[in-house]
Amino acid sequence: MSVSPEMAFFVDANRCIGCQSCVQACAECDTHKGHSMIHLETIQREDSPQTVPVVCMHCDSPTCAEVCPADAIKRTSDGVVQSAKKPRCIACNNCVLSCPFGVPKMETKFELMMKCDMCYDRTSEGKKPMCATVCPSQALTFGPKDEIIKQRQSSTPVNEFKFGNQHIKTKVFMMVPKNTKEQYIDVTASMNDSSISQNMEDHLADVSLDFLGE
Amino acid sequence: MENAYFKKFGPHTSYQLDDQERSDRGLEPDKLVKTHCCFCGQQCGMQLKVRENKIIGIEPWEEFPFNRGMLCPKGVKRYLQNSHPDRLLHAYAKDPSSPEGFRAMDYDEAVKKVAQEINKIQAQHGYDAFAVLTGASLTTEKTYLMGKFARLCLKTANIDYNGRLCMVSAGAACKKAFGIDRSANAWDDITKSDVIWIAGSNVAECSPITTEYIWAAREKGAKIIVVDPRITPIARTCDLYLPVKPGRDIVLFHGVLNIMIQNNWIDQKFINEHTVGFEDLKEHVSQWTLDKTAKETGIDEKSIMKAAELWGQASKSFMLHARGIEHHSHGVENCLGAINLVLASGRIGREGCGYGMITGQANGQGGREHGQKCDQLPGNRDIENPEHREYIAKVWGVDEKDIPRKGVDAYEIFRKVDRGEIKGLLSICFNPLVSLPDNNFIRKMLEKLDFFVAIDFFMSETAQYADIVLPGSLQEEDEGTVTQVEGRVIKINKVVDAPGDARADWKIIQDIAREVGRNHGLKFEGPREIFEELRVASKGGISDYYGITWEKIEKQMGVFWPCPTEDHPGTPRLFEPGSWNPIAKGAGPFYFADGKARFHAAKYSPPKEETDKEYPIILTTGRVVSQFLSGNQTRRIGPLNDQCPEPFVEIHPKLAQHFGIQNGDMVTVESRRGKADFKAMVVKTIRPDTVFIPYHWEGRKSANQLTNSAQDPISKIPEYKACAVKIYKSTREVVQ
Amino acid sequence: MQKEVKKSLLNSIIVTLLLGLSIWLGSRNLRHFDAALVGYTFATLFAAFAITYRYTMWLQRPPTELYWQRGWQLMFTPKYFPSNVKFLIGRIITIIGGNSFIWKRSKERGLAHWLIMWGCILAAAITFPLVFGWLYFIVPDGDLTSYKIVAFGFPTLAFKIETTLGHLIFHGLVVASFLVILGVMLAFRRRMRDKDAAVLQSFSEDIMPLFLLFSISITGLFLTVSYTWLKGYGYSFLSIFHAITVIFTLISLPFGKFFHIFMRPAQFGVAIYKKIGKEKMAKCDRCEIEYASEMHVNDLIKVQKKLGYAYELNDGTGHYQRICPRCRRLLLGLSQGKLWHMKPVKD
Repeated sequence: MSVSPEMAFFVDANRCIGCQSCVQACAECDTHKGHSMIHLETIQREDSPQTVPVVCMHCDSPTCAEVCPADAIKRTSDGVVQSAKKPRCIACNNCVLSCPFGVPKMETKFELMMKCDMCYDRTSEGKKPMCATVCPSQALTFGPKDEIIKQRQSSTPVNEFKFGNQHIKTKVFMMVPKNTKEQYIDVTASMNDSSISQNMEDHLADVSLDFLGE
Repeated sequence: MENAYFKKFGPHTSYQLDDQERSDRGLEPDKLVKTHCCFCGQQCGMQLKVRENKIIGIEPWEEFPFNRGMLCPKGVKRYLQNSHPDRLLHAYAKDPSSPEGFRAMDYDEAVKKVAQEINKIQAQHGYDAFAVLTGASLTTEKTYLMGKFARLCLKTANIDYNGRLCMVSAGAACKKAFGIDRSANAWDDITKSDVIWIAGSNVAECSPITTEYIWAAREKGAKIIVVDPRITPIARTCDLYLPVKPGRDIVLFHGVLNIMIQNNWIDQKFINEHTVGFEDLKEHVSQWTLDKTAKETGIDEKSIMKAAELWGQASKSFMLHARGIEHHSHGVENCLGAINLVLASGRIGREGCGYGMITGQANGQGGREHGQKCDQLPGNRDIENPEHREYIAKVWGVDEKDIPRKGVDAYEIFRKVDRGEIKGLLSICFNPLVSLPDNNFIRKMLEKLDFFVAIDFFMSETAQYADIVLPGSLQEEDEGTVTQVEGRVIKINKVVDAPGDARADWKIIQDIAREVGRNHGLKFEGPREIFEELRVASKGGISDYYGITWEKIEKQMGVFWPCPTEDHPGTPRLFEPGSWNPIAKGAGPFYFADGKARFHAAKYSPPKEETDKEYPIILTTGRVVSQFLSGNQTRRIGPLNDQCPEPFVEIHPKLAQHFGIQNGDMVTVESRRGKADFKAMVVKTIRPDTVFIPYHWEGRKSANQLTNSAQDPISKIPEYKACAVKIYKSTREVVQ
Repeated sequence: MQKEVKKSLLNSIIVTLLLGLSIWLGSRNLRHFDAALVGYTFATLFAAFAITYRYTMWLQRPPTELYWQRGWQLMFTPKYFPSNVKFLIGRIITIIGGNSFIWKRSKERGLAHWLIMWGCILAAAITFPLVFGWLYFIVPDGDLTSYKIVAFGFPTLAFKIETTLGHLIFHGLVVASFLVILGVMLAFRRRMRDKDAAVLQSFSEDIMPLFLLFSISITGLFLTVSYTWLKGYGYSFLSIFHAITVIFTLISLPFGKFFHIFMRPAQFGVAIYKKIGKEKMAKCDRCEIEYASEMHVNDLIKVQKKLGYAYELNDGTGHYQRICPRCRRLLLGLSQGKLWHMKPVKD
């Protein structure tokens, strides 16, 4: 059994509402029941409610697998990078520290790295991953690639990322606006940004404190 | 005593890994049961995994058309309320000598005792001295039964429900403007719209599934306008954000309408043909010039202008609102203002054009239609209307005179307790000690009652004050129908049996009726039989369910009421041109004799409690995504509680700085009614003149110690969204 | 021939020769070597060759090599040596002796692995010395109720046959078989019930090893049954069958799942590396929060370079490896969000 090549996973953090449905549902998946593998990060709550869900992007040549001293991380022929093989993983943390997307999780008490495996028990049987099934904003979407691209008229999927001088190609797509020039997302270009906004808070900050009577 | 009580009744938190069955991975369930979520009005379809009469997990139900497998965190983890250590398995009687404060008692004896007390109070003080409080999370069958039980068995006028804190402003406004109380469209129309106006709705946290409908529209180019004093997650990426000052929504609607009229961005043809009252309204809104509107609402002129341009010039539009504009002492007016914008644009009753109020509770819609409101009979009939009374009396097989008249609303019931007019209370599916405003008053009233019986599945904060607690059923332990946000009637299926002495609520109510000695018409064998009677009772009413059967619901995955005949498919979109309804009888699409909708020159008045020198800041309250209403369930579900275990107070950095408050400090928030400490969350995403506290907690953590019990004169909804407070740094240390 | 292969072949030859020599010497020039067991011996020699080859290849992968070198270097750094020894003893008891980390994954898993592991250790401790002729038993002078163990040709402990100790020594393999069979059954049960296992397991990697262990144990038990109660019925057939299962397992040691037995001790090197690494933590270049040991970050930068990665930042000022995992996730969100017409707020 393997994941059908017609199906694809799309992430659009711009849609994310931070509800944590994905985090809660992830722990319901049978390959890692009770352990949530997805990350949902609040970027800078003081400035904005912006959140970003991060699943494993399933790199074509996964850094995590290559830096693994125990040869414990395998990518199956359908392009899914699996969790560390339990008998091999020696809990060294190389993968956790090397993954450019910050995905793998170290379960110290198990001496084991665990990571998002696209709910392999589900996707290899033709179902959707838990997170993408439940996601109320469909910031996480899984489905027939053509169909989803047709539905998302304002978006275009990319699966290339740039980290410093390193380009990484992934199985999972990220949505960018339709007319984006670059064919990749330059992740390290945001190094000095603390948050992003649409000037909304400026309107709020304009409200004067005169009502305090001083 | 406190510890023994906690040990027995909690709230404890449950986790999947506590439980052998649940933690065992990949255990094949015996069966998957298709049902719906037990929490909010979205009523997402889901499947529950059952093994040996225990719920061991969830599986999304992708075929159900409303949510297509999507679930919010509450839906994902709701299964952990089943097999919960706090579950009430017996009847309990208050017993101060017991270390837990209660002693378990035989169910039958408990029911007898309840009946005795009811009879005693009513013999001494009259029928109306015993009141009933119910809830909008009950199935429609149960809500119908509760209304019938109160009127026929208890003969009391005083039954009301917790939808009083939820949907009544919107409902009243809809009746006034459209003649019918329902969202006008199926949600599918949202995705086909060009402009979506979201007024006072934290969609992302309170009705998360609606998010995808909005994003789907945006993907096709729709513009999103969000009106909210806070930048909520749905506001974060919207096209136009209007940070309204709490309680000023009607001004914004009037101001925008005024600009539309001036620019002729209205549909005069539609107004002429299908509405009445526009000229009065036109005159009324002319006072709301742009600068005056901006000044009163606290929104800059440019943004208001932009909103009018977007809404006024749209070719398809959808108006959505929720508690943000409804929880006010002029909540009905706010809603009427929103409806005015819809009617003036003429964009209703067509594909991609419409209006929706986002119901809060599971059965927020169905629960307000069939007779558990103090002024209402089944089918959304009026209890004071002689014809309506006559019809229901016939269905119930009683004399019209035997049906009590209009009673008082949920809050007034407690004021009547205060005045000594009400001595006894039965409550089900309601936790007023957490959910009603100024709840220190509610606590005193609960203590004052001569007799109080609560039906619940967990020992809620309110049930703690009961003389007798009867063990009711969780949603998954019974079956019945619910009407969700769109007006779609859906079926809740029974998943597991109730444990111990606990039993279906309808059985408990009928047992009490039998012991009281008046169980005429209260001998149903089950929810299906109740539904069959409800169909007849609603027939010819506005909320007409006559053509709906359980089989049809299953086959069509829900049926939209009105559905007057068995061959009728249901009505997803109201007010379509040429549509027929029993009031207009073909005269027009709206539910008035002339078939025309009504404009209302809704009057603006500020919140009942305005800020002043002593209490200079506005407090507004609301929800977080992982907790639900009074938290009686969600505070017991470990992973949900962990997501937001404590209330907090959102403060703008400017305001925080003024008071020397840092993020994470404990802050005292004080109103005229009480004060409490909350952890400060200093964020730039709230108006600097407003602070926000979520209300799901009990006791010292309850936001409703502070809120104002002022009510809307028409809907009687309390003013949760605006009261005056002062804040200062607490002397207490941060408690981790 | 590649350098790595050369080195691996050389190591393999050395190890195989050393093992051969120790058999020769341990059995006193094969005097005590049982010719019937020669098949086992050759399978073992093959396994030793192949395991060493794979092990050496493995150690030459950049990340493994680094841990290998760092592990020994830190282990014998005089400053740390005493605490390392103490630390290691503790870890060996809990990790190897108790399989503590596997029990935490689930009790069923822990029990299954623990039973199989101790069954195998016990069986190996008894059979390898016997096969190599390192151990044999003699009857002490004139005492027919006792046996004496001879190890490497040196007489050692004598014990009475009809005692608990005697029974234990003679039936050690029976005990081992039962441990393994029980463990294998538990493991099979899990593999049949778990959906997780169902999708990820493969026959050769996961089912075959269990099957082999089960076959060895059950045929071994049959041998005991045969000579104890059935007067040796079918003994020669059973012993050939048993030998086949054992030899097959020995040959498969270097290839499949069993290889983890040899990789696993690397865990201890890692533990020491982590323990000592904590003394100097690296701070994230973006959020300035400690996230890993300085040594680890520097080592990873080297390893990534060796592997051909270029995570250096464009302006030459830094390296992406110096950004903590959480900040990497935030950067992904910020970068995508920025493209959706939003304005970044600079620090």
